[in-house]
Amino acid sequence: MTSNYAARIEALRDDALGIRRNVWRALHGAGSGHMGGSCSAADLLAALYFNHLRLRPDEPDWPERDRFVLSKGHANAALGAALARAGFIEDGVLDQFYAYQSSFGMHPDIKMPGVEMSTGGLGHGLSVAIGMALGARMQTKDFRTVVMLGDGELQEGSNWEGAMAAAQFKLANLTAILDYNKIQQSGAVAEMQDLEPLADKWRAFGWAVREIDGHDMEAIVEALDALPFATDKPSLLIAHTIKGKGVSFAEGSFLWHNNLVTDDVYEKAMSELGDGA
Amino acid sequence: MNDAMNKDVARPEWEVKAEDQSRLAFGLAVGELAGRDPKVVAISADTIDLFGLRGFLERSPERLIEAGIAEQSAMGMAAGLATTGMRPILCGYAPFITTRSLEQLRNDVAYANQRVVIGAACGGIVLAMAGGTHHAVEDLAIMRNMPNMTVIAPADARQTWHAALATEQLDGPCYIRLGGKFAEPPVTAMDADFQIGKAEQLRPGDDITVIACGALVAPALAAAEALAASGINVRVLNMHTIKPLDTHAILAAAAETGAIVTAEEHRTTGGLGGAVAELLALEQPTPMRMVGMPDEFAIVGPTARVREHYGLSEAAIAAACRDLLK
Ligand SMILES: Cc1ncc(C[n+]2csc(CCOP(=O)(O)OP(=O)(O)O)c2C)c(N)n1
Repeated sequence: MTSNYAARIEALRDDALGIRRNVWRALHGAGSGHMGGSCSAADLLAALYFNHLRLRPDEPDWPERDRFVLSKGHANAALGAALARAGFIEDGVLDQFYAYQSSFGMHPDIKMPGVEMSTGGLGHGLSVAIGMALGARMQTKDFRTVVMLGDGELQEGSNWEGAMAAAQFKLANLTAILDYNKIQQSGAVAEMQDLEPLADKWRAFGWAVREIDGHDMEAIVEALDALPFATDKPSLLIAHTIKGKGVSFAEGSFLWHNNLVTDDVYEKAMSELGDGA
Repeated sequence: MNDAMNKDVARPEWEVKAEDQSRLAFGLAVGELAGRDPKVVAISADTIDLFGLRGFLERSPERLIEAGIAEQSAMGMAAGLATTGMRPILCGYAPFITTRSLEQLRNDVAYANQRVVIGAACGGIVLAMAGGTHHAVEDLAIMRNMPNMTVIAPADARQTWHAALATEQLDGPCYIRLGGKFAEPPVTAMDADFQIGKAEQLRPGDDITVIACGALVAPALAAAEALAASGINVRVLNMHTIKPLDTHAILAAAAETGAIVTAEEHRTTGGLGGAVAELLALEQPTPMRMVGMPDEFAIVGPTARVREHYGLSEAAIAAACRDLLK
């Protein structure tokens, strides 16, 4: 392990912390928001935006850019934080979450620089990403497409239509990342509509699957570096995560799927997260 | 003070628990209906807390089917349950339970004419801060175009309770549009008579009529109040049922007041305004104005601010009345 590598991992951990702090900042400004699913995805987003995706923040429409679709659009606070950190949007936009006439609402809007698709209705992103991956192949472009899915979101049947199609088309240029935080809006995924045995299902659908701890930055980087997991199949990265990761009183609870963020709660969260970044 | 306290004592439990929120009143009515009829079953699409159904789930877990975040499946299951004689009540988000599961709704529920009641929370631009994916400002137009469907947009939590209970008598499907997670001003009486398809006159008047539904009934009443100060007598009709439309009340208002303003938290195409305009164009052409949303995807922002932005307000209704009477 070179010190270069160690420094890279350390920098990405800082990026993730920066995203989490800005999620809380945006939600505090708005008064409420989807904290749980934004913070469970922070490490994955940091690795994507600051290590994996080939992007040009000063040329957001660069045709050769990799595509990222946040299918679980309610984690937009985290996406906005990543886009600001990467330089797609001004930092001040993060204070406009939910604001009058803002481009930074609860869900991603394709009109914002760096956002590839308007999402928010769950279960759309995978098929949209398949379209992007097909578009790359049909135009012999080598950009890659990554889509992030929620576990509750996988209950939408459209995901399974997409799972079939991506394998049928052997889309090795497509990666789905599952933010598997085990909790949806009203409770535990396993108690509402269980997804297990999840990896086996996707393998049976024709995908190459890997599972990691979605908060272990080394594991995330290693997995993304290893893409595609097979030369003739789409890849699924199942990232086991903790909803609300980073703040003890919010971790692992459906109550923090979408909650009020008072001054008091905000102060506590920020002091737990700590400085840096 | 004593007066207010006495009023509190007189309030039925459902009225207190609903906290002036129609989505909670609907959830409470689900419990009431389930108590009356063992065939009633609730279906959730990860919407338990949205409808305040946590207590119901704990008391009667066998009477709540959790479909997960899968509106199409939820809608199909509701239709299937209904064919066996069960009385499903589907509790969804207005933007998703309409367009996401639209084909199941059209084919399995409306076409097959099944007794499915659909409660649709967060109708209109209640979720204004969430963006276009979460605004439901075409739902009434879509539902109106479903043969067999009854379409109701209650004016407040109280009316929601009565409307939900009234669905017991229906033989076909019904869509009830509800509000979000904030209080709606009460505009109807606690024990007001509610009949599906019969408009409620909230204020007499013979200069002009405002026909409103849902969240726009309160501003319509306020506008009528304000106009009364300038000597304009506004009749206010709470058109809680969009379908079947109370054509009698509308034609009478057209004949007696000669001018009609419609007001709804919906695009002006195809909803309440559309329904009234279609009727009047054919039966009794009458000068009209429509207060509602334009043909565009709405901006993001706080609900109250976005309502104001699109003129879903007392001021805009009053201005439309004045304009029409010029
Ligand atoms: C089609 C659709 N149905 C319902 C919703 C409302 N909703 C928003 S987030 C959410 C729960 C999502 O759970 P999950 O995918 O597990 O997200 P995460 O835990 O990662 O935040 C629900 C039901 C929606 N946005 N879209």
